[in-house]
Amino acid sequence: MTISPDGIVFWQLGGFSLNATIVFTWLVMALLTLISWLVTRRLSTTTAMSRWQNLLEVLVSGIRDQIREVSRQEPGRFLPFVGTLFLFIAMANLLNVVPGYMAPTGSLSTTTALAICVFVAVPLYGVADEGPLNYLQHYIKPTWFMLPFNVIGEISRTIALAVRLYGNIMSGTVIVAILLSLTPYFFPVVMQMLGLLTGIIQAYIFAILAMVYIASATSTHRHTEQSSNAQEPTPD
Amino acid sequence: MEIDWITVSAQIVNFLILVWLLKRFLYQPVIRAMDRREQRIAGRLNEAQAREQQAAENARRYQEKRDELERAREQILATAGAEAEQQKKRMLEVARVETAETRANWQRQANQEKEEFLGNLRHRAAEAIQAISRKALSELADSDLDRQVVHRFIERLKSLDSDTRELLADTTEPVRIASAFELDPTVRGRLTRAIHEHLADGVAVEYNQSPELLCGIELTRGGRRLSWNLADYMEGLAAAVEDAFGSTQAAAAE
Repeated sequence: MTISPDGIVFWQLGGFSLNATIVFTWLVMALLTLISWLVTRRLSTTTAMSRWQNLLEVLVSGIRDQIREVSRQEPGRFLPFVGTLFLFIAMANLLNVVPGYMAPTGSLSTTTALAICVFVAVPLYGVADEGPLNYLQHYIKPTWFMLPFNVIGEISRTIALAVRLYGNIMSGTVIVAILLSLTPYFFPVVMQMLGLLTGIIQAYIFAILAMVYIASATSTHRHTEQSSNAQEPTPD
Repeated sequence: MEIDWITVSAQIVNFLILVWLLKRFLYQPVIRAMDRREQRIAGRLNEAQAREQQAAENARRYQEKRDELERAREQILATAGAEAEQQKKRMLEVARVETAETRANWQRQANQEKEEFLGNLRHRAAEAIQAISRKALSELADSDLDRQVVHRFIERLKSLDSDTRELLADTTEPVRIASAFELDPTVRGRLTRAIHEHLADGVAVEYNQSPELLCGIELTRGGRRLSWNLADYMEGLAAAVEDAFGSTQAAAAE
């Protein structure tokens, strides 16, 4: 039984192997881009619009609202990164219902790649927000002594991000595969439906966590938090 | 559970490409469209608000204009009413004056006609009374009456004042005696004697008859005249009757 789509190799040239992970990733990318292009090439700016445009607008504005809620900042500069994380993972997981399809998120390589992207994006946003020195000072706060723990925390949460998504999606796929061999027909369908729900939730969790990490690295977020804490009434 | 680092790097590239693709084809167009829609809606709302304000302003102006017109109308009505009242008063006054004038004219005319009528009546009454009296007296007149008349005339000759007497005597013309009836010779003799005695001695006396004298006798000499007859009384009677009518009319007019 193939657990990871990495193992399915379609074409190989030297050290590079064109496996199912990459192929299905391209498929997801192509689908997302195609749908976006098809819908957005004829956008209506009036109150009358197509259902597809309405769907996309709901999606985009929903993501923006979530980002605004989590980061307490304007979502503009975070939207492409966080939004794409969510849309890519969600689409990759939803397509799991298609027979023969294997979610690229079920591959640890994909989740690691996404986690590395988050791992890099957090300091990038932080440095862009408050300068390199100010950002690096976070690692030695409150004391120099905390530097190794901060670094370990940074790395471990990235690994956790990758493994959590991989584990959930992979386990879902594996459970369905095992159930199919044990109790065919009905029960695997229920599990597939559950898998859809899990897939969406995992996409949401991944994107929200990424946003939380990025937001914690930006000073604006901290200032906002401090001011909101200062405004809170002290309990008697 | 293994990590293929080539796949990982490929996936990182793939993800970055997807970020760019979605930013290009999804986020930017959709956000732009939403912003434009919001702007358009905001613009429309502003426009609607402006229109509403304009409409409210128009309604206020219209209301003011209507109130103004209403006030003007009431004022015009009041002025017109007052003018009509004045006009009515003026016309009533004119009508009253005209009526009064007309009435005065009528009154005058009526008075005039009445006066004319009364004048005629007076005249006719006097004439009728005179005619009746003349007739009665002429029917009554006989020799006794003649004698009496002659007697009265002689008495009058006797009692003439000296001036009249001299005027009658101071001429050479004969004395003419006119009477309403034919004097008999004895009466003529008495009359002739009385003339000779009291007026002019030996003067010639001519007798003739004059029915106009009614009942009486008249002496004329040299343009002078002395008479006693009922015609004179009748003239006096007519004058008295007219006077009586005139005083009655004046009393009625008052």
